[in-house]
Amino acid sequence: MALTDTNRPARRWRLDPSLIIVVLLLAAVVIAGFALSDRFGTTRNFMNVLEQASALGFASLGQALVVLVGGIDLSIGAVVTASTVLMAGVVETNPALMIPMIFGTLLFGAAIGFMNGYVTLRTGVHPLIVTLGTASILQGAVLIYTLQPTGGVPFWFEEFAYGRIGGVVPISGVVMLLCFALVWAFLKYSQTGRAIYAVGGSPEAARLTGIRASRITLLAYSASGFFAALAGAYYVSRTGVGDPRVGDPMTLASITPVILGGLILGGGKGNILGVLLGVFLISLLSNLLNYMNVSTFIQWVIQGLIIIFAVSIYVHKGKKL
Amino acid sequence: MIRLDGITKVFPGVKSLDKVSFEARAGEIHALLGENGAGKSTLIKTMAGAYIPEEGSIHFDGQERRWASPKEAKDAGIHIIYQELMLFPELTVAENIFIGDPPKTRFGTIDYKTMQARATETLSRLGHALDPRALVKELSVADQQMVEIAKALVGDTKLLVLDEPTAVISGREAELLFDRVKRLRDEGVCIIYISHRLEEIFAIADRVTVLKDGQYVGTRDIGALDRDRLVAMMVGRELEDIFPRKKLPAPDAAPVLSVRDLRAPPRVKDVSFDLFAGEILGLAGLVGAGRSEVAHAIFGSMPRSDGAVTLAGEAFNTPTPRQAIDRGLGFLTEDRKGEGLMLQLDMAANVTAPTLPEFTTASGLDRAQEVQAAADEIRRFRIAIPGPKYGVSQLSGGNQQKILFGRWTRACRRVLIHDEPTRGVDVGAKVEIYEIIRKLADEGVGILVISSELPEVVGLCTRVLVMREGVITGEVTGAEINEETIMRHATAATRGAAA
Amino acid sequence: MTDLSAKPGAAAPRTSAFLQRFAVPLALVALVAVATAVQPSFLSPNNLQDILTQAAPLALVVLGQAFVILVRGLDLSVASLMASVAVLATAFNATSNAMIPVIFAAAIVASALVGLINGLLVTKRNVSPFLATLAMMIVLQGVRFYYTQGAPSGALPEGFRFLGAGRIAGIPVNVIAFALCFALLAWLLHKSSLGRKIYITGGNPKSADLVGIRSDRVTILCYVICSVMAGIAGLFLVGFVGTVDNWVGRGYELDAIVACVIGGIALSGGRGTLWGAAAGALILVLIFNIVIILGLPVQAQMIIKGLIIIIAAALFAKAVKA
Repeated sequence: MALTDTNRPARRWRLDPSLIIVVLLLAAVVIAGFALSDRFGTTRNFMNVLEQASALGFASLGQALVVLVGGIDLSIGAVVTASTVLMAGVVETNPALMIPMIFGTLLFGAAIGFMNGYVTLRTGVHPLIVTLGTASILQGAVLIYTLQPTGGVPFWFEEFAYGRIGGVVPISGVVMLLCFALVWAFLKYSQTGRAIYAVGGSPEAARLTGIRASRITLLAYSASGFFAALAGAYYVSRTGVGDPRVGDPMTLASITPVILGGLILGGGKGNILGVLLGVFLISLLSNLLNYMNVSTFIQWVIQGLIIIFAVSIYVHKGKKL
Repeated sequence: MIRLDGITKVFPGVKSLDKVSFEARAGEIHALLGENGAGKSTLIKTMAGAYIPEEGSIHFDGQERRWASPKEAKDAGIHIIYQELMLFPELTVAENIFIGDPPKTRFGTIDYKTMQARATETLSRLGHALDPRALVKELSVADQQMVEIAKALVGDTKLLVLDEPTAVISGREAELLFDRVKRLRDEGVCIIYISHRLEEIFAIADRVTVLKDGQYVGTRDIGALDRDRLVAMMVGRELEDIFPRKKLPAPDAAPVLSVRDLRAPPRVKDVSFDLFAGEILGLAGLVGAGRSEVAHAIFGSMPRSDGAVTLAGEAFNTPTPRQAIDRGLGFLTEDRKGEGLMLQLDMAANVTAPTLPEFTTASGLDRAQEVQAAADEIRRFRIAIPGPKYGVSQLSGGNQQKILFGRWTRACRRVLIHDEPTRGVDVGAKVEIYEIIRKLADEGVGILVISSELPEVVGLCTRVLVMREGVITGEVTGAEINEETIMRHATAATRGAAA
Repeated sequence: MTDLSAKPGAAAPRTSAFLQRFAVPLALVALVAVATAVQPSFLSPNNLQDILTQAAPLALVVLGQAFVILVRGLDLSVASLMASVAVLATAFNATSNAMIPVIFAAAIVASALVGLINGLLVTKRNVSPFLATLAMMIVLQGVRFYYTQGAPSGALPEGFRFLGAGRIAGIPVNVIAFALCFALLAWLLHKSSLGRKIYITGGNPKSADLVGIRSDRVTILCYVICSVMAGIAGLFLVGFVGTVDNWVGRGYELDAIVACVIGGIALSGGRGTLWGAAAGALILVLIFNIVIILGLPVQAQMIIKGLIIIIAAALFAKAVKA
């Protein structure tokens, strides 16, 4: 009794239990889709969904990293918005700057994220408040600059959103999947990636174990800003303009797949693939509901209920937000 | 191997270490002894670079060092096994062992195969076998501790510190641990071993250093000491002066609390006992044996699945804390800050929390009456605080404990359950707390003292129950109350599990 | 900074303790001074009345939000609830002032129900307050838009205008309503034993349970108070604005949290007073006003709001640590 059975046979594999719920829900949506709509189950439709899911995918990926280290980022929407305005605003007057500005915008996002992390660590203020404050500052600055969609980008940039590899597979969707794959491999196979889980699990234990916890936290917040800016770049590509309100829904939207994917607010636990499945779940559900002519308003209600459902199912422990 | 000179570490309001010097050699097991709050943990955190001392110097491996972070100390070869294990429950055994420096493939990614193989190999050096892929949260505490020690074997550990490693494991596992630790010593590792179980110190240590109230008392070879002299060094006075004279309850005393077949899964499996008016009854056992859970289940702050409890002659079977309080049962929890005091509120509010109805009038809470009541408690327990309207967070552990006495003895005159009454308080305050407990018992209150400090149980209680794995395994009285007997009941190998 | 942190026990803690204690009144005085310096007519009775009328609906929300934050919670659904209550008011399509009490009663009941659900999710289902109220915000928004199909159409009795913007003996009606609510809630929080239970629960929920306080019930009650205050605020805001749309009160959830933080209500629970929260609301509205007086674009309010919430939170966090 006192010692656990040390001769237990080694397990070959296991399905991460936190993925079960999202997998089941996803299966339910797909089955319902095939049953209820004949336009749903086509390659064409799935490819469209993949393309439209990419902005949510980028934003949720960033949010997931911050949640893993025990934080939350409520500035994602504002960073998305600011990125579109920055990119389209600068490039309109000088199209030659398009390629530098892609990098410039991503760097801008990462810098905002870095600041969020820095202020959180330095002041000890809850990340909820810090990122809410950042969001307010950024949004105010954007609205002073413009109240209407503005700016423009060269025509070729719309390939990022609309371009199809071989005429079938959307480029933006592939980029999104690649980002998830990279982050997954990073979390699984790099020392820093593993340290993200350690810091999220217990920052003090991580510090005493010799992990540079602050650096890991800064990295996660920077990545969140980076991916938010990437979502912004996608919107610019899609609409050709910088829109001062485009990011509004993104902050909250980015949280839903994270919760559905089984990540725990408070950090240290969860599989990034769950987040990807959460993104697909939300995107396919919205796609299906559109086919069924369910109003956007009802879709909001459903989204709210899904959040409540997801958080009530997963056992939440530790720090609360 | 390591030498600390004149280390001073100050926390807001407290001088935790006052010019402490300490030195340990390679290839020895050096015990660091002292009561709770003597400064042992602060000292090792200073060695480990987790605290930066205000004064003093650290020499390690022949060089003066100033650690800027725990990482630097770790890279230099210092490994600490803290009392609260520093493991990450959501990661696997292998990942935890190699958290600082995992083996890599030639692409710079973590090489899981090698890592698992080396984890198995490292554990087998300790004579232990665990699935390296198991998540740490699925392991028993003893296995988790082996993972902690395995972490120390990875890389070039020159100094290994173990902080109260046997607080959570049973006798057989402890023997295994001693064997491993001795093996490491013989390999030339310098080992600092912290414990307050004296028999362990005599079993494995080569030298002993004693701290008291943040000050260095002395260093001796273990051969030059006997038990009594060691205790005198730690406590600074003779044992007889610490504990009040024992007094048996009146022979005709009625049981104020009767517990029959109490079950509260998962920790409490079957507990029955009686507590008499005026009795100081001890409840001993290892950490994790289910002692605190028994208290919670009686008090109503944890659900019971089965059992009958009688409180002052009346059945008390659908309990809530409110009803327990109203019927004269009080509970001083072990975690004074986490489950006891409200640190944001003033002293008066802390005292009157369970008895708010008493101060409630039609126009609201009678603040003046409340402050008056709190002032009475300050006098009664000689609490060192400027007044009832002052905060409690900066007070010493002893004074905080007295505030909780004020809180509970106002409300509860029949039974008082006291979990770890002297955790984190200094010797002077201990003596006062023991006197308070004795006095309350003399006034007819039945007192159940839960404690991990065996000397305390032995010195204070007239009868002692011993728990192991959720069951009461022994009851000792009179002259039988000694540390050896209690430990035997607390740790006896579980029959049938050896295979 | 580095020097101070290396030597604890230096003067630093005392300074921040002082700041923590007097920051709110000092800030109020400084803001009034700045405003008067820029615009001498600022202190005219008429202008002050205008500012107070403007501040009242927000201040009502802040009172409720303070209760939730005191028990370690957060309510992001207040703004959505304000708009939903406004839409609910138009659903009566009433023109007679006699219907006003009925509308108020309906709004209070509906709001209390929303608060009850928030509170139950947080306590019984252990959902984090952030997520529970976030979900509530979205659900309310969806229901509201579905009901109005995008544009509210019903009528409101004339009397709402008087409630929102009228004056009795020169005092704005909504300020009187605020004063009444404040008096009641301040008594509840600072004088009654229920208020003490709120502080105990927020200060240490585990201890609260162990001293026989049902922390769950206390927490739920705080969510109900918060929602009811938001509902009442929604009705007064509609009266002030004069028209109902689906976004009445938009942004008030953030403003209310900012006001509480400025006013010294600690997000970690159990610390802060209702006076502070009300003063926080006033400070925020004064800042908004000064932005306008200075001729800055309205959006600059958002930038300033973002800065002060971080700075105020950092200031109080430091003071607590010391």
